Amino acid sequence: MSAAQPLLIIPACNEASRLPAVLEGLEAAGLDLEVVVVDDGSSDATAEVATAGGAEVIRHPFNLGYGAALQTGYKYALARGAKVVAQMDADGQHRADQLGRLLGPVQSGEADLVVGSRFLEETAYRMGPLKGLGRRLFGLFGRWVGLRITDPTSGFQAMNRRVLELYGADFFPTDFPDIDVLVAAHRRGLRIRECAVRMDPSQRKSSLHSGLRPPYYVYRTALAFWVASARAHKNGTR
Amino acid sequence: MTSELQIEQLKALMLSAPESVVTRIIAVVLSVALAAMVLWLVRTRRLREEFTPLWVAASLGLALLSLRFDLLQAITRAIGAWTPSATLFFLGMVFLAVLCLNYAVRLSRAGLQLKNLAQEVALMRHEIQDLRRRGEPGSSTGPLL
Repeated sequence: MSAAQPLLIIPACNEASRLPAVLEGLEAAGLDLEVVVVDDGSSDATAEVATAGGAEVIRHPFNLGYGAALQTGYKYALARGAKVVAQMDADGQHRADQLGRLLGPVQSGEADLVVGSRFLEETAYRMGPLKGLGRRLFGLFGRWVGLRITDPTSGFQAMNRRVLELYGADFFPTDFPDIDVLVAAHRRGLRIRECAVRMDPSQRKSSLHSGLRPPYYVYRTALAFWVASARAHKNGTR
Repeated sequence: MTSELQIEQLKALMLSAPESVVTRIIAVVLSVALAAMVLWLVRTRRLREEFTPLWVAASLGLALLSLRFDLLQAITRAIGAWTPSATLFFLGMVFLAVLCLNYAVRLSRAGLQLKNLAQEVALMRHEIQDLRRRGEPGSSTGPLL
């Protein structure tokens, strides 16, 4: 891999059934990317499927969480000297043909971090009422500190090395990195841009945000948002 | 009015009740036993020194309160309790809450260290596999880690 070649991080946990379609989509998109699948302690054949699909595979010795899997990818990218990195989920929600739209502004230097948004333009994507409420709430958190984000829960992103250096630090959450990490990046003066993308419904049967998780998720994100705001304020990067 | 007066009288009566010698002896024995147990656990390397301050403070506090009954009575009045035994229960609960918080802080730190360590292991394992794939000299084909 050359430093100029973008690196794509795909965190995956028990995604052996959905990952092949994602990797095929990437191949069909014809992008010049190094694909790294971070297997977060899967009990199925995720790692084997990823290797067969031509991806580099980094295996966690046990399950650490979605955020930790992403961060392992960031640390790998930092060690490899990557300058541009994108991330997408392994559940088929993020479309490979949209990656170019995310990578463009980062590669041209217009933005440090680009977030793929389902809501910047009218699309067929529909979010459930609870998720929609969370999205609006987190959007309000962002506005509180002057960050306008229409899709704060989107994990479909591209970033440069400045963002990687920030996200490789210990503050990065191990479970759900959302508006809190965007606020941390915003407060450190990194240029964040949203870009309209099309997404498909997740193929995962049980959502990350099902059961008792939504209230905990809102609580944790609110707390992390407050910490990110307070830390940045203390560091004088308001 | 009369019942309020009776309650106040009852409270004053309970607060001024003399301490039982047996209770004092039990409290002293307990505090000494606790301190001795902590020291023994440290000596046999089953408890690390940095975990001892709270336990030592608890045993010293218990010893102090058992030797200075007037201090326990003063605390009882200050917190609005009726009996010294209720104050001891209250202080015990405060101690347990502080202990839990202390362990939560230690667990958070250990969790972060564990996460970083697991990430390091994953990245190093990948690097070793990469070296083996490329056939670098010195790389074996045995199992990883």
